[in-house]
Amino acid sequence: MAEIVCGNRSTREINEEIRRIIATGEHEIVVQGPGARHNLGVAVLAPVRIRFAGSVGYYCAGLIDGPRIEVDESAGWGLAESMMNGEVIVRGSVGNGAAAAIRGGTVVIHGDAAARLGVSMKGGTVLVAGSCGYMAAFMGQKGTLVVCGDAGDAFADSLYETTCFVGGSIRGLGTDAIVERPSQQDVGWLDSALSQYLPGSQRRGNEFKKVVAGRKLWNFDKREWKVWQEAL
Amino acid sequence: MCGIVGFFAKGSQQAEIGRPVIDMLRALGCRGPDSAGVALFGSPNDNAFVVRVKLGDGGDLGSRSHKLVAYLETVTGCSHISTNASYARFLANGETDLLRLTAGVEELDEDFEIVSVGRRLEIVKQTGSPDNLEKTYSVSRSMGTHGLGHTRLSTESRVDLSHSQPFWSHGYPDLAIVHNGHITNYHQLRRMYEQRGTRFYTENDSEVVAIYLADQLRQGASLQESFERMLRDLDGSYSCLAATEQQLGFVKDAFALKPLVMTETTDFVAVATEEIAIRSAMPGLYSVREAQVGEIRVWQR
Repeated sequence: MAEIVCGNRSTREINEEIRRIIATGEHEIVVQGPGARHNLGVAVLAPVRIRFAGSVGYYCAGLIDGPRIEVDESAGWGLAESMMNGEVIVRGSVGNGAAAAIRGGTVVIHGDAAARLGVSMKGGTVLVAGSCGYMAAFMGQKGTLVVCGDAGDAFADSLYETTCFVGGSIRGLGTDAIVERPSQQDVGWLDSALSQYLPGSQRRGNEFKKVVAGRKLWNFDKREWKVWQEAL
Repeated sequence: MCGIVGFFAKGSQQAEIGRPVIDMLRALGCRGPDSAGVALFGSPNDNAFVVRVKLGDGGDLGSRSHKLVAYLETVTGCSHISTNASYARFLANGETDLLRLTAGVEELDEDFEIVSVGRRLEIVKQTGSPDNLEKTYSVSRSMGTHGLGHTRLSTESRVDLSHSQPFWSHGYPDLAIVHNGHITNYHQLRRMYEQRGTRFYTENDSEVVAIYLADQLRQGASLQESFERMLRDLDGSYSCLAATEQQLGFVKDAFALKPLVMTETTDFVAVATEEIAIRSAMPGLYSVREAQVGEIRVWQR
Protein backbone atom coordinates (compact mmCIF):
# COMPACT_ATOMS: atom_id res chain seq x y z
CA MET A 1 0.00 0.00 0.00
CA ALA A 2 1.30 3.45 -0.93
CA GLU A 3 0.50 6.63 0.94
CA ILE A 4 0.35 10.22 -0.27
CA VAL A 5 0.29 13.03 2.27
CA CYS A 6 -1.26 16.10 0.66
CA GLY A 7 0.15 18.77 2.98
CA ASN A 8 0.64 21.90 0.91
CA ARG A 9 0.91 20.03 -2.38
CA SER A 10 -1.12 21.20 -5.34
CA THR A 11 -3.86 19.11 -6.93
CA ARG A 12 -1.64 18.56 -9.96
CA GLU A 13 1.22 17.24 -7.83
CA ILE A 14 -1.12 14.86 -5.99
CA ASN A 15 -2.68 13.54 -9.21
CA GLU A 16 0.76 13.09 -10.77
CA GLU A 17 1.87 11.18 -7.68
CA ILE A 18 -1.21 8.92 -7.99
CA ARG A 19 -0.29 8.18 -11.61
CA ARG A 20 3.34 7.59 -10.78
CA ILE A 21 2.40 5.08 -8.06
CA ILE A 22 -0.05 3.28 -10.37
CA ALA A 23 2.70 3.00 -13.01
CA THR A 24 4.88 1.11 -10.51
CA GLY A 25 2.22 -1.62 -10.31
CA GLU A 26 0.94 -0.66 -6.83
CA HIS A 27 -2.75 -1.46 -6.37
CA GLU A 28 -3.65 0.41 -3.18
CA ILE A 29 -3.17 4.08 -2.49
CA VAL A 30 -4.27 6.10 0.54
CA VAL A 31 -4.35 9.87 0.13
CA GLN A 32 -4.09 11.63 3.52
CA GLY A 33 -5.50 15.11 4.13
CA PRO A 34 -7.17 15.84 0.77
CA GLY A 35 -8.76 18.91 2.42
CA ALA A 36 -11.66 19.14 -0.06
CA ARG A 37 -9.33 19.92 -2.99
CA HIS A 38 -10.98 19.82 -6.41
CA ASN A 39 -10.28 17.45 -9.32
CA LEU A 40 -8.71 14.60 -7.35
CA GLY A 41 -8.49 11.13 -8.89
CA VAL A 42 -9.87 12.19 -12.26
CA ALA A 43 -9.49 9.88 -15.30
CA VAL A 44 -7.90 6.96 -13.44
CA LEU A 45 -8.10 4.05 -15.89
CA ALA A 46 -6.51 1.20 -13.90
CA PRO A 47 -8.26 -1.28 -11.57
CA VAL A 48 -6.63 0.13 -8.40
CA ARG A 49 -8.07 1.13 -5.01
CA ILE A 50 -7.68 4.74 -3.96
CA ARG A 51 -8.91 5.98 -0.59
CA PHE A 52 -9.16 9.70 0.11
CA ALA A 53 -8.93 9.96 3.91
CA GLY A 54 -11.05 13.11 4.25
CA SER A 55 -13.25 15.30 2.06
CA VAL A 56 -12.82 15.95 -1.65
CA GLY A 57 -13.94 18.95 -3.72
CA TYR A 58 -15.45 19.15 -7.20
CA TYR A 59 -15.23 16.50 -9.94
CA CYS A 60 -13.55 13.78 -7.86
CA ALA A 61 -13.34 10.43 -9.69
CA GLY A 62 -14.70 11.90 -12.90
CA LEU A 63 -14.07 10.07 -16.17
CA ILE A 64 -12.69 6.99 -14.42
CA ASP A 65 -12.68 3.50 -15.91
CA GLY A 66 -12.09 0.64 -13.53
CA PRO A 67 -10.78 1.80 -10.14
CA ARG A 68 -12.49 1.68 -6.74
CA ILE A 69 -12.33 5.14 -5.22
CA GLU A 70 -13.40 5.72 -1.62
CA VAL A 71 -13.94 9.06 0.10
CA ASP A 72 -14.03 8.99 3.92
CA GLU A 73 -16.01 12.23 4.29
CA SER A 74 -17.97 14.39 1.84
CA ALA A 75 -17.58 15.23 -1.86
CA GLY A 76 -18.38 18.42 -3.80
CA TRP A 77 -20.07 18.96 -7.17
CA GLY A 78 -19.80 16.52 -10.10
CA LEU A 79 -18.63 13.40 -8.22
CA ALA A 80 -17.78 10.54 -10.64
CA GLU A 81 -19.11 12.56 -13.56
CA SER A 82 -19.15 10.56 -16.80
CA MET A 83 -17.44 7.54 -15.25
CA MET A 84 -17.20 4.50 -17.53
CA ASN A 85 -16.72 1.75 -14.97
CA GLY A 86 -15.52 1.16 -11.41
CA GLU A 87 -16.82 1.90 -7.92
CA VAL A 88 -17.03 5.21 -6.11
CA ILE A 89 -17.94 5.06 -2.42
CA VAL A 90 -18.55 8.24 -0.39
CA ARG A 91 -19.08 7.90 3.37
CA GLY A 92 -20.47 11.41 3.79
CA SER A 93 -22.72 13.64 1.69
CA VAL A 94 -22.24 14.83 -1.88
CA GLY A 95 -22.87 18.13 -3.67
CA ASN A 96 -24.82 18.83 -6.85
CA GLY A 97 -24.61 16.70 -9.97
CA ALA A 98 -23.15 13.53 -8.45
CA ALA A 99 -22.95 10.60 -10.89
CA ALA A 100 -24.10 12.84 -13.75
CA ALA A 101 -23.94 11.16 -17.17
CA ILE A 102 -22.25 8.00 -15.90
CA ARG A 103 -22.05 5.17 -18.43
CA GLY A 104 -21.30 2.28 -16.08
CA GLY A 105 -19.98 1.27 -12.68
CA THR A 106 -21.47 1.91 -9.24
CA VAL A 107 -21.66 5.07 -7.13
CA VAL A 108 -22.53 4.58 -3.45
CA ILE A 109 -23.33 7.56 -1.22
CA HIS A 110 -23.74 6.86 2.49
CA GLY A 111 -25.00 10.36 3.33
CA ASP A 112 -27.34 12.63 1.35
CA ALA A 113 -27.08 13.90 -2.22
CA ALA A 114 -27.83 17.52 -3.17
CA ALA A 115 -29.50 18.62 -6.44
CA ARG A 116 -29.30 16.92 -9.85
CA LEU A 117 -28.11 13.49 -8.70
CA GLY A 118 -27.58 11.07 -11.62
CA VAL A 119 -28.85 13.40 -14.31
CA SER A 120 -28.55 12.02 -17.83
CA MET A 121 -27.26 8.64 -16.62
CA LYS A 122 -26.42 6.39 -19.55
CA GLY A 123 -25.83 3.24 -17.49
CA GLY A 124 -24.42 2.13 -14.16
CA THR A 125 -25.95 2.11 -10.69
CA VAL A 126 -26.31 4.84 -8.08
CA LEU A 127 -27.18 3.96 -4.47
CA VAL A 128 -27.88 6.62 -1.85
CA ALA A 129 -28.38 5.63 1.79
CA GLY A 130 -29.82 9.02 2.69
CA SER A 131 -31.99 11.40 0.70
CA CYS A 132 -31.56 13.14 -2.63
CA GLY A 133 -32.36 16.73 -3.63
CA TYR A 134 -34.07 18.49 -6.49
CA MET A 135 -34.21 17.12 -10.07
CA ALA A 136 -32.52 13.76 -9.46
CA ALA A 137 -32.38 11.41 -12.47
CA PHE A 138 -33.44 14.18 -14.89
CA MET A 139 -33.38 12.80 -18.47
CA GLY A 140 -31.86 9.51 -17.30
CA GLN A 141 -31.32 7.27 -20.29
CA LYS A 142 -30.24 3.94 -18.78
CA GLY A 143 -29.02 2.44 -15.54
CA THR A 144 -30.54 2.30 -12.06
CA LEU A 145 -30.82 4.93 -9.33
CA VAL A 146 -31.73 3.87 -5.78
CA VAL A 147 -32.53 6.33 -2.98
CA CYS A 148 -33.18 4.71 0.41
CA GLY A 149 -34.43 7.95 2.01
CA ASP A 150 -36.63 10.67 0.56
CA ALA A 151 -36.45 12.13 -2.95
CA GLY A 152 -36.73 15.87 -3.64
CA ASP A 153 -38.88 17.84 -6.04
CA ALA A 154 -39.09 17.15 -9.81
CA PHE A 155 -37.85 13.61 -9.28
CA ALA A 156 -37.15 11.64 -12.49
CA ASP A 157 -38.28 14.45 -14.79
CA SER A 158 -38.32 13.72 -18.55
CA LEU A 159 -36.98 10.24 -18.02
CA TYR A 160 -35.94 7.80 -20.75
CA GLU A 161 -35.03 4.29 -19.62
CA THR A 162 -33.34 4.82 -16.24
CA THR A 163 -35.13 2.87 -13.51
CA CYS A 164 -35.47 4.62 -10.16
CA PHE A 165 -36.31 3.22 -6.72
CA VAL A 166 -37.20 5.35 -3.69
CA GLY A 167 -37.47 3.95 -0.17
CA GLY A 168 -38.93 7.04 1.50
CA SER A 169 -41.31 9.71 0.26
CA ILE A 170 -41.10 11.62 -3.02
CA ARG A 171 -41.59 15.34 -2.60
CA GLY A 172 -42.70 15.80 -6.20
CA LEU A 173 -42.59 13.71 -9.36
CA GLY A 174 -41.16 15.26 -12.52
CA THR A 175 -43.04 15.51 -15.77
CA ASP A 176 -43.88 12.12 -17.26
CA ALA A 177 -42.56 10.18 -14.25
CA ILE A 178 -44.88 7.43 -13.02
CA VAL A 179 -44.82 5.26 -9.93
CA GLU A 180 -45.05 1.52 -10.34
CA ARG A 181 -45.05 -1.45 -8.05
CA PRO A 182 -41.63 -3.16 -8.16
CA SER A 183 -41.64 -6.70 -9.57
CA GLN A 184 -40.41 -9.71 -7.60
CA GLN A 185 -37.25 -9.53 -9.69
CA ASP A 186 -36.79 -5.85 -8.73
CA VAL A 187 -37.20 -6.67 -5.03
CA GLY A 188 -34.62 -9.44 -5.29
CA TRP A 189 -32.17 -7.17 -7.09
CA LEU A 190 -32.67 -4.38 -4.52
CA ASP A 191 -32.09 -6.74 -1.59
CA SER A 192 -28.88 -8.06 -3.08
CA ALA A 193 -27.60 -4.58 -4.09
CA LEU A 194 -28.33 -3.22 -0.59
CA SER A 195 -26.68 -6.14 1.17
CA GLN A 196 -23.61 -5.75 -1.04
CA TYR A 197 -23.18 -1.96 -0.91
CA LEU A 198 -25.23 -0.67 2.03
CA PRO A 199 -25.37 -3.55 4.50
CA GLY A 200 -26.24 -1.14 7.31
CA SER A 201 -29.44 -0.01 5.59
CA GLN A 202 -32.72 -0.80 7.33
CA ARG A 203 -34.59 -0.76 4.03
CA ARG A 204 -35.87 -3.96 2.45
CA GLY A 205 -36.41 -4.36 -1.27
CA ASN A 206 -40.18 -4.64 -0.91
CA GLU A 207 -40.44 -1.18 0.72
CA PHE A 208 -39.32 0.69 -2.39
CA LYS A 209 -41.43 2.55 -4.93
CA LYS A 210 -40.36 2.16 -8.53
CA VAL A 211 -40.34 5.25 -10.76
CA VAL A 212 -40.08 4.99 -14.54
CA ALA A 213 -40.93 7.04 -17.61
CA GLY A 214 -44.58 7.31 -18.58
CA ARG A 215 -43.22 7.49 -22.15
CA LYS A 216 -45.56 10.32 -23.09
CA LEU A 217 -42.65 12.59 -24.00
CA TRP A 218 -40.79 10.03 -26.07
CA ASN A 219 -42.64 10.84 -29.27
CA PHE A 220 -44.33 14.06 -30.22
CA ASP A 221 -48.05 13.72 -30.69
CA LYS A 222 -50.06 16.88 -31.28
CA ARG A 223 -53.09 15.27 -29.66
CA GLU A 224 -51.07 15.35 -26.44
CA TRP A 225 -50.30 19.06 -26.70
CA LYS A 226 -51.29 19.59 -23.07
CA VAL A 227 -48.54 17.24 -21.87
CA TRP A 228 -45.95 19.20 -23.84
CA GLN A 229 -47.23 22.52 -22.64
CA GLU A 230 -46.73 21.32 -19.10
CA ALA A 231 -43.31 19.80 -19.79
CA LEU A 232 -41.92 22.87 -21.52
CA MET B 1 -18.27 33.00 -9.83
CA CYS B 2 -17.58 34.81 -6.50
CA GLY B 3 -16.99 33.14 -3.17
CA ILE B 4 -19.03 33.78 -0.04
CA VAL B 5 -18.46 32.73 3.55
CA GLY B 6 -20.20 33.09 6.89
CA PHE B 7 -19.00 32.26 10.39
CA PHE B 8 -21.09 32.23 13.55
CA ALA B 9 -19.52 31.56 16.97
CA LYS B 10 -21.96 29.96 19.39
CA GLY B 11 -20.38 30.63 22.77
CA SER B 12 -18.42 33.73 23.64
CA GLN B 13 -19.32 37.31 22.74
CA GLN B 14 -15.61 37.78 22.12
CA ALA B 15 -14.76 34.85 19.86
CA GLU B 16 -12.17 34.97 17.09
CA ILE B 17 -14.20 35.89 14.02
CA GLY B 18 -11.84 37.84 11.78
CA ARG B 19 -9.41 34.94 11.50
CA PRO B 20 -11.87 32.21 10.39
CA VAL B 21 -13.57 34.61 7.96
CA ILE B 22 -10.32 35.75 6.30
CA ASP B 23 -8.88 32.20 6.26
CA MET B 24 -12.01 30.90 4.54
CA LEU B 25 -11.84 33.80 2.06
CA ARG B 26 -8.20 33.06 1.25
CA ALA B 27 -9.19 29.54 0.13
CA LEU B 28 -11.80 31.09 -2.18
CA GLY B 29 -9.49 33.79 -3.54
CA CYS B 30 -9.33 32.05 -6.92
CA ARG B 31 -13.14 32.34 -7.25
CA GLY B 32 -13.00 36.11 -7.05
CA PRO B 33 -9.77 37.97 -7.79
CA ASP B 34 -11.46 41.38 -8.27
CA SER B 35 -12.21 42.34 -4.70
CA ALA B 36 -12.44 41.04 -1.15
CA GLY B 37 -14.45 42.19 1.83
CA VAL B 38 -15.74 41.28 5.27
CA ALA B 39 -18.64 42.30 7.49
CA LEU B 40 -17.78 41.65 11.13
CA PHE B 41 -19.99 41.91 14.22
CA GLY B 42 -17.79 42.96 17.15
CA SER B 43 -18.61 44.15 20.67
CA PRO B 44 -21.82 46.14 20.99
CA ASN B 45 -21.34 49.86 21.47
CA ASP B 46 -23.52 51.16 24.29
CA ASN B 47 -25.95 53.61 22.83
CA ALA B 48 -23.71 54.39 19.87
CA PHE B 49 -23.34 53.42 16.22
CA VAL B 50 -20.04 52.58 14.53
CA VAL B 51 -19.96 54.45 11.22
CA ARG B 52 -17.51 53.53 8.47
CA VAL B 53 -16.95 55.96 5.63
CA LYS B 54 -15.22 55.31 2.33
CA LEU B 55 -12.87 58.23 1.65
CA GLY B 56 -12.18 57.14 -1.92
CA ASP B 57 -10.56 54.43 -4.03
CA GLY B 58 -7.29 56.29 -4.16
CA GLY B 59 -5.89 59.75 -4.86
CA ASP B 60 -5.40 62.27 -2.08
CA LEU B 61 -6.94 60.34 0.84
CA GLY B 62 -5.08 62.53 3.33
CA SER B 63 -6.76 65.79 2.44
CA ARG B 64 -10.14 64.10 2.14
CA SER B 65 -9.71 62.62 5.60
CA HIS B 66 -8.86 66.11 6.99
CA LYS B 67 -12.00 67.46 5.37
CA LEU B 68 -14.17 64.72 6.92
CA VAL B 69 -12.56 64.98 10.37
CA ALA B 70 -12.99 68.78 10.38
CA TYR B 71 -16.67 68.32 9.51
CA LEU B 72 -17.33 65.57 12.09
CA GLU B 73 -15.82 67.72 14.85
CA THR B 74 -18.63 70.19 14.27
CA VAL B 75 -21.35 67.50 14.50
CA THR B 76 -22.65 66.82 17.99
CA GLY B 77 -22.57 63.18 19.07
CA CYS B 78 -19.64 62.13 16.86
CA SER B 79 -16.53 60.84 18.63
CA HIS B 80 -13.56 58.46 18.40
CA ILE B 81 -12.75 59.52 14.84
CA SER B 82 -9.93 57.57 13.17
CA THR B 83 -8.78 56.94 9.62
CA ASN B 84 -6.99 54.00 7.99
CA ALA B 85 -6.19 53.71 4.26
CA SER B 86 -9.47 54.18 2.33
CA TYR B 87 -11.69 54.46 5.41
CA ALA B 88 -12.66 56.76 8.23
CA ARG B 89 -14.36 55.26 11.27
CA PHE B 90 -16.18 57.03 14.09
CA LEU B 91 -18.83 56.54 16.73
CA ALA B 92 -22.15 58.35 16.45
CA ASN B 93 -24.37 58.84 19.48
CA GLY B 94 -27.40 56.50 19.50
CA GLU B 95 -29.78 59.47 19.15
CA THR B 96 -28.08 60.65 15.95
CA ASP B 97 -30.36 61.21 12.96
CA LEU B 98 -28.64 58.72 10.61
CA LEU B 99 -30.27 60.12 7.46
CA ARG B 100 -29.06 63.64 8.24
CA LEU B 101 -25.60 62.41 9.15
CA THR B 102 -25.37 60.41 5.90
CA ALA B 103 -26.48 63.37 3.81
CA GLY B 104 -24.03 65.67 5.62
CA VAL B 105 -21.07 63.35 5.11
CA GLU B 106 -21.82 62.33 1.55
CA GLU B 107 -22.39 65.95 0.41
CA LEU B 108 -18.87 66.87 1.51
CA ASP B 109 -17.14 64.98 -1.29
CA GLU B 110 -18.40 62.93 -4.21
CA ASP B 111 -16.12 60.04 -3.23
CA PHE B 112 -17.50 59.79 0.32
CA GLU B 113 -19.86 56.92 1.00
CA ILE B 114 -21.07 55.56 4.30
CA VAL B 115 -20.21 51.89 3.89
CA SER B 116 -21.71 50.57 7.12
CA VAL B 117 -23.58 51.71 10.21
CA GLY B 118 -24.46 49.52 13.15
CA ARG B 119 -24.20 49.01 16.86
CA ARG B 120 -21.82 46.17 16.01
CA LEU B 121 -21.46 45.88 12.23
CA GLU B 122 -18.26 46.97 10.50
CA ILE B 123 -17.67 46.44 6.78
CA VAL B 124 -14.17 46.50 5.32
CA LYS B 125 -13.73 45.85 1.60
CA GLN B 126 -11.45 46.83 -1.24
CA THR B 127 -10.34 45.71 -4.69
CA GLY B 128 -7.76 42.93 -4.78
CA SER B 129 -7.19 39.69 -2.89
CA PRO B 130 -8.11 38.60 0.66
CA ASP B 131 -4.37 38.66 1.43
CA ASN B 132 -4.21 42.34 0.53
CA LEU B 133 -7.30 43.08 2.62
CA GLU B 134 -5.59 41.43 5.59
CA LYS B 135 -2.34 43.34 4.95
CA THR B 136 -4.10 46.70 4.87
CA TYR B 137 -6.67 46.27 7.62
CA SER B 138 -5.53 43.29 9.78
CA VAL B 139 -9.10 41.99 9.86
CA SER B 140 -7.94 38.67 11.38
CA ARG B 141 -7.55 40.41 14.75
CA SER B 142 -11.28 41.13 15.05
CA MET B 143 -13.19 39.51 17.88
CA GLY B 144 -16.94 39.21 18.12
CA THR B 145 -19.79 36.83 17.38
CA HIS B 146 -20.25 36.42 13.63
CA GLY B 147 -19.18 37.67 10.25
CA LEU B 148 -19.51 37.43 6.48
CA GLY B 149 -16.94 37.51 3.72
CA HIS B 150 -16.88 37.83 -0.05
CA THR B 151 -14.44 37.45 -2.93
CA ARG B 152 -15.71 38.90 -6.17
CA LEU B 153 -15.43 38.02 -9.83
CA SER B 154 -17.24 40.90 -11.45
CA THR B 155 -19.60 39.90 -14.26
CA GLU B 156 -21.92 42.85 -14.70
CA SER B 157 -20.65 46.01 -13.05
CA ARG B 158 -17.43 47.89 -12.43
CA VAL B 159 -14.62 46.91 -10.10
CA ASP B 160 -14.11 49.44 -7.32
CA LEU B 161 -14.57 49.66 -3.56
CA SER B 162 -18.25 50.64 -3.65
CA HIS B 163 -19.14 47.78 -6.02
CA SER B 164 -17.36 45.29 -3.75
CA GLN B 165 -19.21 43.17 -1.21
CA PRO B 166 -20.45 42.78 1.55
CA PHE B 167 -23.24 45.30 1.05
CA TRP B 168 -24.80 47.22 3.86
CA SER B 169 -28.40 48.21 3.24
CA HIS B 170 -28.00 51.99 3.47
CA GLY B 171 -30.10 53.33 6.32
CA TYR B 172 -30.77 50.01 8.06
CA PRO B 173 -28.24 49.54 10.90
CA ASP B 174 -26.51 46.19 11.36
CA LEU B 175 -27.76 44.47 8.19
CA ALA B 176 -25.16 43.09 5.76
CA ILE B 177 -25.33 40.65 2.87
CA VAL B 178 -23.02 38.74 0.57
CA HIS B 179 -24.27 37.18 -2.65
CA ASN B 180 -22.94 34.78 -5.28
CA GLY B 181 -25.04 34.69 -8.44
CA HIS B 182 -27.21 36.88 -10.61
CA ILE B 183 -30.52 38.58 -9.83
CA THR B 184 -32.18 38.49 -13.24
CA ASN B 185 -35.13 40.76 -12.37
CA TYR B 186 -32.74 43.32 -10.85
CA HIS B 187 -33.76 46.18 -13.18
CA GLN B 188 -37.45 45.67 -12.43
CA LEU B 189 -36.84 45.66 -8.68
CA ARG B 190 -34.47 48.61 -8.88
CA ARG B 191 -37.02 50.67 -10.79
CA MET B 192 -39.66 49.81 -8.20
CA TYR B 193 -37.44 50.86 -5.30
CA GLU B 194 -36.20 54.00 -7.07
CA GLN B 195 -39.78 55.08 -7.65
CA ARG B 196 -40.25 54.80 -3.90
CA GLY B 197 -37.25 57.07 -3.37
CA THR B 198 -34.55 54.53 -2.49
CA ARG B 199 -31.08 55.58 -3.62
CA PHE B 200 -28.86 52.92 -5.23
CA TYR B 201 -25.15 53.53 -4.75
CA THR B 202 -23.93 51.05 -7.38
CA GLU B 203 -24.88 49.15 -10.53
CA ASN B 204 -24.18 45.85 -8.77
CA ASP B 205 -27.26 43.58 -8.79
CA SER B 206 -26.32 42.30 -5.32
CA GLU B 207 -27.16 45.72 -3.85
CA VAL B 208 -30.84 45.02 -4.43
CA VAL B 209 -30.65 41.98 -2.13
CA ALA B 210 -29.62 44.24 0.76
CA ILE B 211 -32.33 46.76 -0.09
CA TYR B 212 -34.96 44.03 -0.47
CA LEU B 213 -34.13 42.37 2.86
CA ALA B 214 -34.12 45.72 4.69
CA ASP B 215 -37.53 46.46 3.17
CA GLN B 216 -38.94 43.15 4.41
CA LEU B 217 -37.43 43.56 7.88
CA ARG B 218 -38.86 47.09 8.12
CA GLN B 219 -42.28 45.64 7.34
CA GLY B 220 -41.90 43.43 10.40
CA ALA B 221 -40.87 40.16 8.74
CA SER B 222 -38.28 37.97 10.46
CA LEU B 223 -35.08 37.15 8.59
CA GLN B 224 -36.50 33.67 7.90
CA GLU B 225 -39.71 35.17 6.45
CA SER B 226 -37.69 37.71 4.46
CA PHE B 227 -35.71 34.87 2.85
CA GLU B 228 -38.95 33.01 2.09
CA ARG B 229 -40.32 36.10 0.32
CA MET B 230 -36.99 36.55 -1.47
CA LEU B 231 -37.34 33.09 -3.04
CA ARG B 232 -40.68 34.26 -4.43
CA ASP B 233 -39.67 37.79 -5.50
CA LEU B 234 -36.05 37.58 -6.66
CA ASP B 235 -35.41 35.64 -9.87
CA GLY B 236 -32.10 34.19 -10.93
CA SER B 237 -29.38 32.09 -9.43
CA TYR B 238 -28.19 32.95 -5.98
CA SER B 239 -26.61 31.71 -2.83
CA CYS B 240 -26.94 34.52 -0.36
CA LEU B 241 -25.86 35.07 3.23
CA ALA B 242 -27.26 37.81 5.44
CA ALA B 243 -26.39 38.90 8.95
CA THR B 244 -28.07 41.15 11.49
CA GLU B 245 -26.90 42.12 14.97
CA GLN B 246 -27.99 38.77 16.43
CA GLN B 247 -28.46 36.49 13.41
CA LEU B 248 -26.74 34.84 10.49
CA GLY B 249 -28.66 33.05 7.76
CA PHE B 250 -28.59 31.86 4.18
CA VAL B 251 -30.92 31.20 1.27
CA LYS B 252 -30.23 29.12 -1.84
CA ASP B 253 -32.22 29.77 -5.02
CA ALA B 254 -35.13 27.67 -6.25
CA PHE B 255 -33.02 25.89 -8.89
CA ALA B 256 -29.90 25.18 -6.77
CA LEU B 257 -27.76 26.81 -9.44
CA LYS B 258 -25.12 28.19 -7.09
CA PRO B 259 -23.06 26.22 -4.61
CA LEU B 260 -23.23 26.62 -0.84
CA VAL B 261 -22.09 24.18 1.84
CA MET B 262 -22.53 24.31 5.59
CA THR B 263 -21.43 22.71 8.82
CA GLU B 264 -22.67 23.13 12.36
CA THR B 265 -20.79 21.99 15.47
CA THR B 266 -21.39 22.69 19.16
CA ASP B 267 -18.99 25.66 18.89
CA PHE B 268 -19.65 27.26 15.51
CA VAL B 269 -21.55 27.39 12.25
CA ALA B 270 -19.61 27.83 9.02
CA VAL B 271 -21.16 28.37 5.60
CA ALA B 272 -19.14 28.74 2.41
CA THR B 273 -19.28 28.42 -1.36
CA GLU B 274 -16.85 25.48 -1.27
CA GLU B 275 -15.92 22.99 1.43
CA ILE B 276 -12.23 23.71 0.87
CA ALA B 277 -12.81 27.07 2.61
CA ILE B 278 -14.20 25.48 5.77
CA ARG B 279 -11.60 22.68 5.87
CA SER B 280 -8.67 25.05 5.42
CA ALA B 281 -9.87 27.45 8.15
CA MET B 282 -11.19 25.07 10.82
CA PRO B 283 -9.32 21.89 11.77
CA GLY B 284 -11.27 19.17 13.56
CA LEU B 285 -13.88 16.52 13.02
CA TYR B 286 -17.17 17.66 11.56
CA SER B 287 -19.28 16.84 8.54
CA VAL B 288 -20.09 19.25 5.73
CA ARG B 289 -23.09 19.12 3.44
CA GLU B 290 -24.41 21.02 0.44
CA ALA B 291 -27.52 23.12 1.06
CA GLN B 292 -30.59 21.80 -0.74
CA VAL B 293 -32.64 23.69 -3.32
CA GLY B 294 -34.54 26.62 -1.82
CA GLU B 295 -33.09 25.88 1.61
CA ILE B 296 -33.18 28.60 4.24
CA ARG B 297 -31.38 28.51 7.59
CA VAL B 298 -31.13 31.20 10.23
CA TRP B 299 -29.00 31.01 13.40
CA GLN B 300 -29.88 33.33 16.25
CA ARG B 301 -27.80 34.26 19.27
